[in-house]
Amino acid sequence: MSDVVEKTLTALPGLLSLDSQPGSNKLSSSSKLGNLIRGITELTSKHEEEKLIQRELTSIKEQVSSPNTSMRQMKELMVRAIYCEMLGYEASFSYIHAIKLAQQGTAREKRVGYLAVSLFLNESHELLLLLVNTVLKDLQSTNLIEVCMALTVVGQIFPKDMIPAILPLVEEKLNHPKEIIRRKAVLALYKFYLIAPNQVQHIHNKFRKALCDKDPGVMTASLHIYLQLIEENPEGYKDLTTSFVTILKQVVGGKLPMDFNYHSVPAPWLQIQLLRILCLLGKNDQSTSEIMYEVLDESLRRAEINHNITYAILFECVKCIYTIHPKSELLEKAAKCIGNFVLSPKINLKYLGLKALTYVVQQDPKLALQHQMTIIECLDHPDLIIKRETLELLFRITNAQNVTVIVDKMLEFLRINKDDYTTIDLRMERKL
Amino acid sequence: MRFMLLFSRQGKLRLQKWYTATAERDKKKMVRELMQIVLARKPKMCSFLEWRDLKIVYKRYASLYFCCAIEEQDNELITLEVIHRFVELLDKYFGSVCELDIIFNFEKAYFILDEFLMGGEIQDTSKKSVLKAIEQADLLQEEDESPRSVLEEMGLA
Repeated sequence: MSDVVEKTLTALPGLLSLDSQPGSNKLSSSSKLGNLIRGITELTSKHEEEKLIQRELTSIKEQVSSPNTSMRQMKELMVRAIYCEMLGYEASFSYIHAIKLAQQGTAREKRVGYLAVSLFLNESHELLLLLVNTVLKDLQSTNLIEVCMALTVVGQIFPKDMIPAILPLVEEKLNHPKEIIRRKAVLALYKFYLIAPNQVQHIHNKFRKALCDKDPGVMTASLHIYLQLIEENPEGYKDLTTSFVTILKQVVGGKLPMDFNYHSVPAPWLQIQLLRILCLLGKNDQSTSEIMYEVLDESLRRAEINHNITYAILFECVKCIYTIHPKSELLEKAAKCIGNFVLSPKINLKYLGLKALTYVVQQDPKLALQHQMTIIECLDHPDLIIKRETLELLFRITNAQNVTVIVDKMLEFLRINKDDYTTIDLRMERKL
Repeated sequence: MRFMLLFSRQGKLRLQKWYTATAERDKKKMVRELMQIVLARKPKMCSFLEWRDLKIVYKRYASLYFCCAIEEQDNELITLEVIHRFVELLDKYFGSVCELDIIFNFEKAYFILDEFLMGGEIQDTSKKSVLKAIEQADLLQEEDESPRSVLEEMGLA
């Protein structure tokens, strides 16, 4: 790798200070963007900032409209325009030039052009149509990096009406030898599905192929689509339950390459996606739920490490267990889990514990009562968010016996905090 | 995910990525409101809060606040880890990243963000593959002579 870098560096004739070095080297301090940023930081008032930015924008506007500006300079101008827009100033004159940059620039310029387009424009913008041709061309390029860039942009922003024009090209990429291109193609199709579901109806079997892809990245990407499809129509995908369960088993059992580990937890986001999918499939369906009990048990057991990510997986697991057809051993373990969350000194876990209790209180009111004391203590917690969550929970666990105590506590709380808790109070009144 | 914001303790926006179509004016308003709320939070407080119809997850790293807005059914704790993963990637890429790196190279930060959080959905790809993709794109030059050989060597052309 080092002599490749060597070669490219020596090939660069007189690196201008405008361009930043490849990799992680810092932007050279004499660049125009650097100057602009420094200029702004030195100013003390908003008014001065406005003046400086307006001056900057006028200068950028002149330069982008000039026929003498090279693509390289345009790239630098776009970065400054993005910066100004980020600060809240309008630079719409630069939008068309961003598209031109993506069209005419070479790789690095194209990249900035595409970035600028994805930041400046939104789906309904009329200029977006001009992007379509550029994307079409890049998708057919032999330079795979250009293909990647095109797919990335398509996955973020694309005009709905032009989907039929680009669909065949994207579909074709699903069979590409390089996994990164397959993955991006799947994500582009996911985006298409979100904005125009009927356009992608005919390729559902291709999604199945992506699900079985040997590369875990591509498979994960396909799960986004499946989650969406299953949300809308769980019945249609029950036959895939065993596949999902198998995948989850493999992940939890550490069968994925070490690369996918995040703090020694195997592919946590993938696990969570699968848990969500299983949750939807097993809801109100005993036979489907039975297929997943074993793997859920396994997930609960494996998540022993004390890291936030493990707790995230546990939370999702617990939610799943409570949604699908109940199984007593699993419920017990899940209840214990929630208990640990609520009793935890870590504030984020406490919050999640309370949230989980609110969620399960319909099915298992005993659980909340078990932790009544902790819940009451949470009312006095210094953090407002915890207090609010506690109130929400208390409202749900009120029954004939404890209503007086709870209402008393609530009124006491309201007396001290005169904020926007009147809504909860009103709901309380309705129940009584 | 609906959007992600990065801003400094002084309330200066460093990066904003929106995953849903929102009008400019609304964006500005939301950013302003949210910054106020998050900056008012004390250090030991919960990292999650509810705002309008969204859930907000935020975390502070040195002088930068990373703030994400997620939907009702999303898992807050996992979003916290998404933020952490992003920081890890930035750190690996810039080598011990600090706020200045992100300020002066914000377009690179965007590239990394786009690579691992495509269209608002986190890709559970290995850290290595995300960084590799960025570095390969970085190594491209405008000159015609070298790119061909560089790409060929990387097996991409």
